Amino acid sequence: MSLGEALSMLDAEERVSGRINYALNIEAPAMLVGKILRSPLPHARILRVDPSRAQKLAGIGAVLTRADFGSNTAYSGRYGRIFRDQTVVALDKARFVGDPVAAVAACDEDTALEALSLIDIDYEELPAVFDEAEALEPTAPLVHDPRPEQQPMFSKMIEDLPGGSNLCSHFKLRRGDIEQGFRQADVVFEDTFRSPAAQHVPLEPHVTVAQYARQKLTLWTSTQMPHAIRAQMAELLNLPLARVRVIVETLGGGFGSKGSLRLEPITAFLALKAQRPVKIVLSREEEFVTVCKHPATIRIKTGVMKDGTLVARQVDANFNTGAYSDIGPVVARNGGSAMSGPYRIPHVRIDSCAVWTNIVPAGALRGFGVPQAVWAYESQMDMIAERLGLDPLEFRRKNLLRDHDLFATGEELTDMHCHDLLDQAAASIDWSSDDVRWLNRNRTEPKRKTVRRGKGLAMVIKATITPSTSAAALKLNEDGSLNVLTSSVECGQGAKTVLAQIAADAMHMPVRRVSVSDPDTDLTPYDQQTSSSRTTYSMGGAIREAANDLKRQLLDCAADHLEASVSDLIIEDSKVVVRGTPQQSLSYGEITRLSNQANLFGRGAFTTRGGLDLQTGQGIGSVHWHQGAIGCEVEVDIETGKIKILRLTPCVFAGRVVNLRLCELQLEGCAIFGLGQALFEEMNYGEHGQLLNPNLSDYNVPSFADVPLTIDASALEHVGSEELHGIGETLLPPVMAAIGNAVYNAAGVRIQELPLTAEKILRQIHKQHSANDLPPGLREDKGEDQPKRR
Amino acid sequence: MTFLPVCERTKVRTSRSDADQGKHAHLIPLQLGDEPKGNSMKQIVNLKVNGVEDEKAVHTHHTLLEVLRSEYKLFGAREGCGIGMCGACTVLLDGQPMSSCILLAVLAEGKEITTIEGLSDPGKLHPIQQAFIDHNAFQCSYCTPGFILSTKSLLAENPDPTVEHVRAYLAGNLCRCGSYYKIQEAVLDAAARLRGEKQNPPLP
Repeated sequence: MSLGEALSMLDAEERVSGRINYALNIEAPAMLVGKILRSPLPHARILRVDPSRAQKLAGIGAVLTRADFGSNTAYSGRYGRIFRDQTVVALDKARFVGDPVAAVAACDEDTALEALSLIDIDYEELPAVFDEAEALEPTAPLVHDPRPEQQPMFSKMIEDLPGGSNLCSHFKLRRGDIEQGFRQADVVFEDTFRSPAAQHVPLEPHVTVAQYARQKLTLWTSTQMPHAIRAQMAELLNLPLARVRVIVETLGGGFGSKGSLRLEPITAFLALKAQRPVKIVLSREEEFVTVCKHPATIRIKTGVMKDGTLVARQVDANFNTGAYSDIGPVVARNGGSAMSGPYRIPHVRIDSCAVWTNIVPAGALRGFGVPQAVWAYESQMDMIAERLGLDPLEFRRKNLLRDHDLFATGEELTDMHCHDLLDQAAASIDWSSDDVRWLNRNRTEPKRKTVRRGKGLAMVIKATITPSTSAAALKLNEDGSLNVLTSSVECGQGAKTVLAQIAADAMHMPVRRVSVSDPDTDLTPYDQQTSSSRTTYSMGGAIREAANDLKRQLLDCAADHLEASVSDLIIEDSKVVVRGTPQQSLSYGEITRLSNQANLFGRGAFTTRGGLDLQTGQGIGSVHWHQGAIGCEVEVDIETGKIKILRLTPCVFAGRVVNLRLCELQLEGCAIFGLGQALFEEMNYGEHGQLLNPNLSDYNVPSFADVPLTIDASALEHVGSEELHGIGETLLPPVMAAIGNAVYNAAGVRIQELPLTAEKILRQIHKQHSANDLPPGLREDKGEDQPKRR
Repeated sequence: MTFLPVCERTKVRTSRSDADQGKHAHLIPLQLGDEPKGNSMKQIVNLKVNGVEDEKAVHTHHTLLEVLRSEYKLFGAREGCGIGMCGACTVLLDGQPMSSCILLAVLAEGKEITTIEGLSDPGKLHPIQQAFIDHNAFQCSYCTPGFILSTKSLLAENPDPTVEHVRAYLAGNLCRCGSYYKIQEAVLDAAARLRGEKQNPPLP
């Protein structure tokens, strides 16, 4: 059986020999190099754009400016997933430092860079706003005025709001009676948590090659959503879908950054203007100003009984979506709907907003709003446990959701495994109540040693995008081998290998006779996107449907030739066999040849349904819920504030594991990604909205020097179930809170604003020691060091 | 290395006082790389890439990475950061790992340059590559050639490294997907194979 086998990736040999193709390697005949001129100001009206000197340069194919768009042209130049708030190049205003204002295509990179320096632009600087709370003040400068037009397809998901404000979207969830809940509660706690902007840093930058030929725009592009790119490019260029072709090679990492339109519009318009193929490759510095994780401020108020029963929760969350909304409103909604966590809370009121500001646009990043949410609610769970004198493990267990409980969205939950996951995470770090700082008052801090150890736990529940649609086709060849036609993107998660295993399993044939396509919108069926941990589940489901269709055709055709009824036939080992007479059989290849069709095609689609009410957030938030828990042990040096991670133990509910090795890689990858965001990843802005650390020297991502010796990952399988669960993101969101909780148990320091830098920890250790002679963690005043406003 | 291009002749009208004007100097986050390069110098250099010696006319300001990719069409080395921090562009220079994104091509003259394509004969795999496959020591694999070449150099210096040696030596190569544990297993396994303690398992 191919399902469950720990195969290495099927294209592993190309990967270790450096031969595997990324969009970075694509070259077309007569191709030009594109470069982008970017705004040096965070908010400025563009008074004059003069490309004349650049146009005179030898070797220039095209200069793209705002004169190519608008009423005198065939193109509006406006686009956006949810709001048409973004433009190919700035039309009236530049809205952040790094906003594209013009672009060139030239014979080589040096000429292109020289041309950029010859474009004259006059700006009138406007007041700018960077912080999400300040942006909501009535006097704040407006990033978009008038309010941009909303795409109709999102009208059921995102409420349209009046203009005149930087409030981009407002997700509301109303369950029970929040006032009654707080009255009923013995104690109410209110805390605020902040997550900063962070970068995806896929090692492969964004790359797009655009070519017009034979009446068609062809894009080779590093994207996670080929069909969405095709649709938006067709709209921008007034072309039918059939005349836009998107081809995706394997990605050098995506993590959400390669969704939505990025370089495709600017590259395509350059190619259109130059009538030559154009390629743009972003530098690392440009990557940093292209898309990021939403900075978010989350105020969370939780009512609880003295015995630890949760009663009510109110959340006000502001997600800073930067200058352009991208998919921000859906991030705020997804993060918002997750804020009750994996807990039974009868009274819930959530307001989760996306806010426009003059910083780098924020979009999807592995976890999609849930990392910010979990950082808040799982940090607060430990803070509440301490105030009530409870063991945080027992406090969580008491409130965890079980089968048939209702989620905050009102939907009934099934296949819930939170208790098992939490117990597994706790056991994997040898958790005991002695590890709880406030329960272990006899704990003696070593007098001379400056290093303190501590453990922490955190949990997550996360939606996968619902509703959603995937389609697949299986092409059975005359030798009985199988082509899987799919638009799922290989980002390094092993999609092609996993989908081959699912197809081989469904078709009862060996994996080595299965080949999975690259996405090509001319040839491969529709898929919504490769994101939201949905490929294994949704595309896997579509492939299983297609296999059923193909097997029906095989049985029908074999029945004719074997002179047997379909009910007497069974499928095994790449053959159709007459039950009880194994010598009477036809191989897949034989049936395909006998069918007189040369190929047999199986078609399958997999669609999930759901959605949340705009006013109450009630409905179906997710077709099934991704669940996970993580344990962590840290050392904190109280003289330097430095944290060392000793153990991380991600535990995920995986349904049925398709490939154990790739599953481990996803879990380890999530833990390490989260470790970076917990300890050091933060995009720092200067006072004028300029990014101060847009490079891998000043912005660190985890290396061997930062990660623990081992990560002890586990996947919980539901024995007997064939249901597949995505696992690509689930264990990232709880890492930060688990580390934060462990740091508290180690050193008595509670930081509420990520990342947990040595400076912040040391500052608080000093503050506590000077304020009180008691050892940290044994004092009564808590909740200090609220997040600072910028 | 490329910089975020910003127009040199940007004019800014502002309501701020003249005293504040100076602040715009740091409003421009990143400057243009160099002066226009359209007519920059080329120089003939003798490069020895993967065992083959050859004369090439290269721009004096082009890095070895640019030359390997554009002149030799060797795509195994890739730019990740452009400043020598991530290791995705690692090549071996006389056996030593080097970030080819920060080495001018003209400075590589006379050195043995080994890229991932030159690690083994075509169609064959080096034991390190085989170990990386067997452990699936990658996800997106953009960083993989760099890790493998750094490993080659590590095992040449120290055929029997501890896990701490491996981690310290490879700390200059970044894997954003976080495949570090499979990488450390693969490197220790490759070391054992190269010492002859373990046979390559047959390919599946």
